[in-house]
Amino acid sequence: MPIRSESSQDSHPAPKLGLILIQVLILALFFAFGLRFWYLQVHKGEDFEAKARQNQLREEEVYAPRGRILDRSGELLAVNQPAYALAIVREDVEDEEATLRKVAEWTSIPYEQLSERLEAGRKKIKPFDRLILVPDIEFELLSLIESNKVYWPGLEIVIRPRRVYRQGPLLAHVLGYVAEANEKELKERPELSMGDMVGKQGLEYMIEDTLRGDKGLKRVEVDATGRRLKEFMIEQPVAGQSVALSIDLPLQEKAFSLLEGQAGGIVVLDPDTGKVLSLVTQPSYDNNAFAAGLTKTQWNALRSHPRNPLQNRVIQSVYPPGSVWKLLVAGCALHEGMLDPKATTFCSGSYRLGRRVFRCWKKGGHGHVDLMKGLVDSCDVYFYQLGERLGVDRISEYAFACGFGNPTGIALPHEKGGLVPTRAWKRERFNEPWHGGENLNLAIGQGFTLAHPLQVARFVAALLNGGVLYRPSLLLDEEPEAQGEIPLSEAHRKLILESMIKTVEDGTARRIKRPDAVLGGKTGTAQVVRLGTERLDAEDIPYKHRDHAWMASWGQKGDQRYVVVCMVEHGGGGGSTAGPIVREIFRHLFGEPEEKVAGSGN
Amino acid sequence: MSIDRRVIKYLNWPLLGLTVALFVVGAVNLYSASAVRLEDGIALAPYFEKQLVWGLVGLAGMVVFMLFDYTRFHALAWPLFFLTLLLLAAVPVFGSTVYGAKRWLDLGPFSFQPSEVAKITILVVGARLLSRKPEKLGWGEFLFIVFVGMLPAALVVIQPDLGSSLNLLLLLAGIILYRGLKGRVLKVLAIIVPAVLPLGWFFLHDYQKRRILTFLDPTNDPLGAGYHIIQSQIAIGSGRLWGKGFLQGTQSQLRFLPEKHTDFAVAVFGEEWGFVGCLLLLSLFAMFLMSIFSTARDARDRFGSFLAAGVFFYFFWQILINMGMVLGLMPVVGIPLPFMSYGGSTTLVNFCLIGLVQNVSMRRHTFRHNRSLQFRGEAAYASKK
Repeated sequence: MPIRSESSQDSHPAPKLGLILIQVLILALFFAFGLRFWYLQVHKGEDFEAKARQNQLREEEVYAPRGRILDRSGELLAVNQPAYALAIVREDVEDEEATLRKVAEWTSIPYEQLSERLEAGRKKIKPFDRLILVPDIEFELLSLIESNKVYWPGLEIVIRPRRVYRQGPLLAHVLGYVAEANEKELKERPELSMGDMVGKQGLEYMIEDTLRGDKGLKRVEVDATGRRLKEFMIEQPVAGQSVALSIDLPLQEKAFSLLEGQAGGIVVLDPDTGKVLSLVTQPSYDNNAFAAGLTKTQWNALRSHPRNPLQNRVIQSVYPPGSVWKLLVAGCALHEGMLDPKATTFCSGSYRLGRRVFRCWKKGGHGHVDLMKGLVDSCDVYFYQLGERLGVDRISEYAFACGFGNPTGIALPHEKGGLVPTRAWKRERFNEPWHGGENLNLAIGQGFTLAHPLQVARFVAALLNGGVLYRPSLLLDEEPEAQGEIPLSEAHRKLILESMIKTVEDGTARRIKRPDAVLGGKTGTAQVVRLGTERLDAEDIPYKHRDHAWMASWGQKGDQRYVVVCMVEHGGGGGSTAGPIVREIFRHLFGEPEEKVAGSGN
Repeated sequence: MSIDRRVIKYLNWPLLGLTVALFVVGAVNLYSASAVRLEDGIALAPYFEKQLVWGLVGLAGMVVFMLFDYTRFHALAWPLFFLTLLLLAAVPVFGSTVYGAKRWLDLGPFSFQPSEVAKITILVVGARLLSRKPEKLGWGEFLFIVFVGMLPAALVVIQPDLGSSLNLLLLLAGIILYRGLKGRVLKVLAIIVPAVLPLGWFFLHDYQKRRILTFLDPTNDPLGAGYHIIQSQIAIGSGRLWGKGFLQGTQSQLRFLPEKHTDFAVAVFGEEWGFVGCLLLLSLFAMFLMSIFSTARDARDRFGSFLAAGVFFYFFWQILINMGMVLGLMPVVGIPLPFMSYGGSTTLVNFCLIGLVQNVSMRRHTFRHNRSLQFRGEAAYASKK
């Protein structure tokens, strides 16, 4: 029998051609594999070798502490504390979903939110770099995560400095806050990476570059589970520069407490440099909350608060200045040479212009009023006739020259400019001509005119310091910057200052009077709504319709000079509401009035 | 069991040599892949040691499969088939869960995967069914074989073990094509299969879909499903021409490579031995496959030819899919590379199958012991003619 039988040949399952084809296919396949090996190992070998190195050696950012912020005497206002963040290194994660679910369980942050964050980071952060997943974790949680982390490769606890504002709400509107950089900031600043904190408000925002410092770089050799084998620093982090503020912390505390429960603002300036000693807004908020990331509820609570604690009332809220404005109008009239200070006007309690009657705040009238009396008693009728004579063009030009109508340029964001109405503005805004009657309202700080407390304070400071408008400054070491000079002669300036002194002595600002210091003041009661002819007591008017209370003042004792401006929203009368607050501030600045001390000694 | 002297004489030495060579290369590679470095040098290589044991068990299994006459399998085919179905059906009930899948049956001190047994069974049943007639497959026979093959494949896929069940079906498809399909069947299938294949998408698990999508664009998810692909390519590519040297592969030693001792063993090899080493390995595999294939070609009878062809396709698909996957040419499917990947059951089965091929190869020159077996079908065929 032959080795291969006929039948075996005949019955062979596959045709000869097929057999050859299969062999050719095998060879072709192996040729293809060989080609692929060549492509990966020879053609692209260098690239892959580089990638392999990159795999083992990761570069890690080392966070630089933000510069500290101190008050004028070195008291710490903003510092850094080590805080713990949970980061994820995607390359080391075995099961992304399960890992995120675990983190969600630990932190009770919704899974969807974490996943959204991870997705956002996918495009921005290299797979082997740390992506901050939870920016701030509590200590109790930290130990829980730390002890379970081995089961969840890819999760890392990152220690980084967290901003802490020692005084919280007290300085929230000055310091602002830091929070995670958003999309836009990440795009604009290439040195930022996702999860980094940047200044968002206040000084933190304005002097971000000074405060931030430079991150360092560390090279870490890791294995695939992210376990660190070796690490060494390539670049040392550079801490941000510390900054001293002109703010006087005890004064700030005092002023803040005086406004407790009210809505309003206080600003205390050094009139000779423009340095801000105190800048208070009430109500305030805790800026520490932002660094940890606000929850939706917290944010909504802040946003829907009826008195909006996020609003900086010293620079972001503008109000009709009320009678405080009369200082400016008086200055304008003197400057224009249209006024003999001794000339009198008769106030009968109202002033008629055409068919309209404009009332003085004092129903019975002030009788014969000259400039001094007009300012001291804040006679509306006196200023009505001044307004009529001056007209909107002169007043507005003068007001601009005195720094109204434009932001002061203080190093805080979102400052408003206020409003100095002009004919052009009215045409633009209402498509209407300027009416003669509006000159009268303009002259007493009502109508369209809007200003914020810092503008008023700067103006008062200029009256006091010889006419220089300094840019209000919060930084202690900053050179004072003169922005201009108010157009008012020495003599006229003195005249107005004198009227302010008299106002304290026996006018509407009597409440701040003290025997051991020279004080000048001007109150203002800014109408919120026109309430008809009847003047009602504040208590009888709904809160939101009550007048805003102003007090612009200055004080000098020895070589100490200060400008204090206080504005209480819906506070009612300037003298009665803002007055006591200002008095207390001077009491803090100058100490207890000496007469009283002597009196108690006797 | 009587053994013809010629049987030993005709032992397929090249196949034996290639098998042992591949096993040795695989074991050495496993040593590197699983070595745990302690303070001073290499301390433990757990997979390597186990693999050596399995190699010895496998050699024993191979000898067993060589010695008896393979034609006996013809009669054993159906009992074996039903036993296999029983075992596979027992897995979801009694099986132990590893990595979320029930694939193993615990038998006291050792556990085994019935899906491995299923590979041998499919091969034997397929060879029996296909060797009945010499002409190309008609619809009836084709559908019956597909039905028979689907039963174990379906039981395997629910474990879930997509890789193994795919392997079973591809093995069957290989030998069906090896026999050939009638023109009309081929035409219809050429239309239906590409049309139906996309429907299979809906039966895939999410992670399986992701793997396929990721394969199409690995950068899409570089650290999810794309991770394996990217890492294995980095490992292989960084080996460059000459490799980093034994135990020097940073990617595998620093444990960047996932599954490096099982499905991604070639990546470890490629990193340490470079392009030159990979070419040698490819040549080994090519010669290995050719050697099995020529056994199928030269077999004494159709049953033997189909058995050898089945083994050929069994290895062929695994090599194709595993290497394709590791090289980034195919989606990630968990299929081991014969003799390179760690695995007890797999190694044992691999050796047994080589034993089977040796069995066929050794007896290609002997007379048919069981003429009736060979000619029963042919007689019927002839009489029809």
